[in-house]
Amino acid sequence: MWIFEYRDLIQVLTISNLKIKYQSSVLGFAWSLINPLFMMIILYIVFSGIFKISEKQFALYILIGIVTWRFFTSATNLGMISIVSQPGLVKKIFFPREILVFSSVLSCLISSLLEFAVLFCILIILQVSISSSILLFPIIILIFFGIAYAFSLGLSSLFVYYRDLNQIWDVLLQAGFFLCPIVYPITVIPEKYLDIYMLNPLTVIMEIFRDILLNGIFPPLWDVVYVSLWGLFLLIFGHYLFSRLKIRFAEEV
Amino acid sequence: MTGPSDDKETPQTAIVVDHVSKKFRIPLEKKYTVYQHLFGIFKGGYYSYNEFLALDDISFTVNHGESFGIIGPNGSGKSTLLKLIAGILYPDKGYTRAYGRIAPFIELGVGFHPELTARENIFLYGSILGLKKNQIREKYDEILSFSELKKFENMKIKNFSSGMTARLAFATAIQTDPDILLIDEMLAVGDEEFNYKVVEKINEMKEREVTIVFVSHALRLVQQYCSRTLLLSKGKIIQIGDTSQVIEKYLQITREHQ
Repeated sequence: MWIFEYRDLIQVLTISNLKIKYQSSVLGFAWSLINPLFMMIILYIVFSGIFKISEKQFALYILIGIVTWRFFTSATNLGMISIVSQPGLVKKIFFPREILVFSSVLSCLISSLLEFAVLFCILIILQVSISSSILLFPIIILIFFGIAYAFSLGLSSLFVYYRDLNQIWDVLLQAGFFLCPIVYPITVIPEKYLDIYMLNPLTVIMEIFRDILLNGIFPPLWDVVYVSLWGLFLLIFGHYLFSRLKIRFAEEV
Repeated sequence: MTGPSDDKETPQTAIVVDHVSKKFRIPLEKKYTVYQHLFGIFKGGYYSYNEFLALDDISFTVNHGESFGIIGPNGSGKSTLLKLIAGILYPDKGYTRAYGRIAPFIELGVGFHPELTARENIFLYGSILGLKKNQIREKYDEILSFSELKKFENMKIKNFSSGMTARLAFATAIQTDPDILLIDEMLAVGDEEFNYKVVEKINEMKEREVTIVFVSHALRLVQQYCSRTLLLSKGKIIQIGDTSQVIEKYLQITREHQ
C-alpha cells in the first residue's frame, strides 16, 4: 500500500505545503484563525437578524459550520490543482500520483485541526458543556477527510483534462455554501423538503459536529453510518476515476 | 534489428523492453476546457486529434552492470523510451520490466521548491527520490559537503545559481543508491572541478555494477561510458550492439540526410 510505503514522502510534502502556505504572510498561521472569526461575526450580524433565531448560541452554531465548510473548500481547491501545479514531478519522476493529492488534503486537514483547536478553546471559555461524545470527534474527522480526499481525487484527475473545472467547482461551492446549514438553522427548511435536504452528507457531518461540540450529545448512530457509507462510496468512485485517468497525466499536464 | 538473443531473459537481465509501442495524441485544436468540449460536440468533429507513433515495436534487454546508451536524432523517441522504463509513461502495447531498484527520476533537480531552504529541499527532494527520512538525516552532511554548499545550508533555493542547484540535486540523487540508473542527457552542471567529481561518482557506480541507461547527444560520452548502444530514429530501432559500430551507423545516416 503506497500510503505506508511512502509515508516519509507524504509527511515531507505535507509539511512543505504548510511551510510554503504560511511563510510568505506576515501573520502566518494567525490568518487561519482571524479569517473564520471575522466571517462568523459578519454572518452572525447579518443572519441573526434575518432568521428569528430559535437556536441557542447562534454565533457558535455558525462558527462550527464555517470551520467545517472551510476544510471542505480548501481541501478540494488545493487537491484539485495538486497534479497540474506539479508538471515537473509528474513528467520526470515516478511515484504514485495519489501522493500529491493526499498530501495536499492532509496539509489542509492540519490547518483545519488548528482551527478546531481554537474552536475548542472558545467553547471552553464560553462554558459550553462538553461531554464524552467529544471522543467521537477523531472518527468523524477521519470520515470527513475521506470524503474530501475522494472529491479531490476525482477533481484533480479531471482538472488535468478540463482546465476550467476550477471555475465550475467555484460556482458549485458557492451553491453548496447555501445548501448546507452554515448560516441558517435547519428549522427554516420546510418540512416537506427536509428528507431531501438531509441527504447531503456535508449537512449530516455539520449536524454531527454540532451535536458533539455544541450540544454535548451523541449523534444518532445512523447518521454516522450514513456519512461513513458516503465516504466509502466516494473513495471507491474517486479512486476508480483517478486510476483510469492517471495513465495519461505525464502527457497532458 | 533485435536478434533473438536480445529478447531472452536470463538471470543477468536488468531491464526488459518487450514489443513496446507508444502513441501520442496530437490534438488538431487543443481543447482544454469543458466549454470547448461542449462547443466541439455541437460543431462536430469531437475527436479531432492525430496520432503520432513515438515508439514502434521496440524490444531489447539490458544486463545487470551494463552501461547502455540510447542515441538518435531529436524526436526519435529516446526520452519517451526512458520514461516508459521508469514507469512515468504507460505503453500502449507491450511491456517494460526492471529487475532491481530503479531510480525513479530521469532528470535532476525536478522537485526542488524555490521558496524553501537548501536544508528543507534536501529532505523534500530526497523523499521524492524515494529516500527515507532517517537515510537523509544520516547522509545529510555528506550531501552538503559533496555539493560544497555547507555555507548556504539555510539559504532559499531561489537565491542559488543554477550550478549550485544542480550540484545539490546531484549530491542528493546519488544517495538513492539505485541498482538501475536512468540518465536523460549528461549532467553538464557545474564547473570543471565538480564535473570531475561527477565523472568519478559515475565510474564508482559502474564498478559497483550499477546498470546505467544513458540517453545523450554527446557521442563522445556515450563512446566513453557505454559498451552497448541503441540507435533510434522515428521511433524505430535502427541498430543495437557495440557502441563504436552504432555510432558509426548514426554518423553515416546523418551524412546521408545532408
